[in-house]
Amino acid sequence: MAALVEVRDLVKHYPIRSGIVFRHEIGAVKAVDGISFDLEAGETFALVGESGCGKSTTARCVLRLIEPTSGSIKFDGEDITAAGTGRMRTLRREMQMIFQDPFASLNPRMTVRGILREPFTIHGLEADGKVEALLEMVGLLPEHASRYPHEFSGGQRQRVGIARAIALDPKLVVCDEPVSALDVSIRAQVLNLLEDLQARMGLTFLFIAHDLSVVRHIASRVAVMYLGTIVETAQTDDLFERPSHPYTQALISAVPVPDPDRERSRRRILVSGDVPSPIDPPSGCRFRTRCPKFANELSEAERQKCIDEPPPLIDRGEGHPSACHYAEAKSLV
Amino acid sequence: MTPDTSEPLLSIEDLRVHFHTDAGVVKAVDGVSWAVSPGETLGIVGESGSGKSVSALAVMGLVPVPPARYESGRILFKGGDLIAADEKERRAIRGKEISMIFQDPLTALNPVFRVGHQIAEVIQAHDRKVGRVAARAKAVELLGEVGIPNPKQRAREYPHQFSGGMRQRAMIAMALALDPLVLLADEPTTALDVTVQAQIMDLLIRLQSERGTAIVLITHDLGLVAGHADRVLVMYAGKVAELGTIDDVYYRPRHPYTLGLLNSLARMDQRRTDRLKPIIGQPPSLIRVPPGCPFHPRCPFATDICRKEMPPLEPKDGPHHLAACHHSDQVALQQSPAAS
Repeated sequence: MAALVEVRDLVKHYPIRSGIVFRHEIGAVKAVDGISFDLEAGETFALVGESGCGKSTTARCVLRLIEPTSGSIKFDGEDITAAGTGRMRTLRREMQMIFQDPFASLNPRMTVRGILREPFTIHGLEADGKVEALLEMVGLLPEHASRYPHEFSGGQRQRVGIARAIALDPKLVVCDEPVSALDVSIRAQVLNLLEDLQARMGLTFLFIAHDLSVVRHIASRVAVMYLGTIVETAQTDDLFERPSHPYTQALISAVPVPDPDRERSRRRILVSGDVPSPIDPPSGCRFRTRCPKFANELSEAERQKCIDEPPPLIDRGEGHPSACHYAEAKSLV
Repeated sequence: MTPDTSEPLLSIEDLRVHFHTDAGVVKAVDGVSWAVSPGETLGIVGESGSGKSVSALAVMGLVPVPPARYESGRILFKGGDLIAADEKERRAIRGKEISMIFQDPLTALNPVFRVGHQIAEVIQAHDRKVGRVAARAKAVELLGEVGIPNPKQRAREYPHQFSGGMRQRAMIAMALALDPLVLLADEPTTALDVTVQAQIMDLLIRLQSERGTAIVLITHDLGLVAGHADRVLVMYAGKVAELGTIDDVYYRPRHPYTLGLLNSLARMDQRRTDRLKPIIGQPPSLIRVPPGCPFHPRCPFATDICRKEMPPLEPKDGPHHLAACHHSDQVALQQSPAAS
């Protein structure tokens, strides 16, 4: 089956300008720096990484909410980087987004009915009877339609956001941290709802998250991002059971699990320091400045390769692609 | 380390802190007791609005009165009651013997003063005999101790020049400046990335083992508590649902809320087997707490008695494992998902 979304060599640089009379560029924030991936129809593909790694920028480029600097994005076989405003508006019926903050993403002056009718109005479609059906699909009651967002709890508000995203029967839904603002006991409800809707409507999810526990549960494939590039990608269980990039290994080993015995016996791989600035990322491998392997295991000659050559994202015999010259699968969970 | 639970360092007894607001009385903390011993880490877990931070703020005297009112209870530290203490006595304890770190280090640090200056200020505030130069030198030493590279140069920078992880390290340096006996850590890593969280927890545990500090770790993250606490207190709607050693609470939970939370978690360390099992409904507003047991509208074990009577917090299989549930024997029959 052909991929629903094909992203190739996507780059998003935000220029940094200086000067008042003669504005000129003095550098760029390299938010996303050449990434490629496919989304198969009906799957959940997760982009994970820490703040500033470029995962949200990537998602917004896929919807063209921000314009990529270069690279191509194909949606259903059509290159949407070249599509005009009118064409994009039509295409947006097929691609929707669920936001992290259910407080900020709903207009406080509109009733739920108004919020859910708006997609139909924008696209010139009949909205009668749709609002009640949508509310029922996301587990809310018809009488909720006349209420305002502030009358709902966080979990209910996120359900309204989900109802709005699925209103026009889209193919692709980008979920940007959809449960990280919710209470622990509410997260499971919303994750189950997303899965039910995916099964019922054949949705494809691009799932953005920093919480690896949620990702392991919901995603079929995962890509790990670091400083604007993908460092490792694999089927979900393969990634968690055989991580082969030192960054993925550090990330997995840092996530606490709710099991005291396992916590006592686990191996921790600590990385030192902070993420470098995306304005001036390290040469060669971007992770080398924090890499425990680089610091403790490699010889001088091996290190030179990390400094000189950016490692390509290829399979080095570990079963899935990883962007490390010295990739080596480890079992950590 | 095996904590000595017979001699608590700080203990809270039957604390009730209610906020009197226009909308009604918010019973943020409603009959809560806990204690922490030297070298021990007590985890306090709960969702937003469960009142988990308020008892720690009460220890520091940081609860605004009014709107808050202490309806009952004592906070015992070194033989004295902190609630009855006057501001001068509190000030001598706060920061020196008991200190606190917060979730958001950017709002806790003053943006217009250099980081080193702020740490030195804490030292001088409690000991007039320490001179400016000596206090500055001590600040630099502390920054080095919490793992900030080039501490001498960093001490002269402002908070905005620090990354999130660095700011939290600076906060920890400030909190530990006077070698306190108790450290209250309110969501200390929630604003941080997971690799930085691991660094910060590693630092706290190392400092604890060097100094024997008692730590109260307040968080919503059951994983963090499993890895770092000795005992855990589970709070729901301003009340204690369950209290015990982490092994008792995670492997043999006796309260349906604890069991429900453990069941609802997605696990990073296991292959997916089925859909998640959520707790139905949502946490109550603290203004309208349900009568009887506050968890009964969401509880699969609830019966008539739960709707009428608040279950007492009682020992279950052993004196140190407490739960407030009428049906804790039935809960005990369920297999905990943590015990895999």
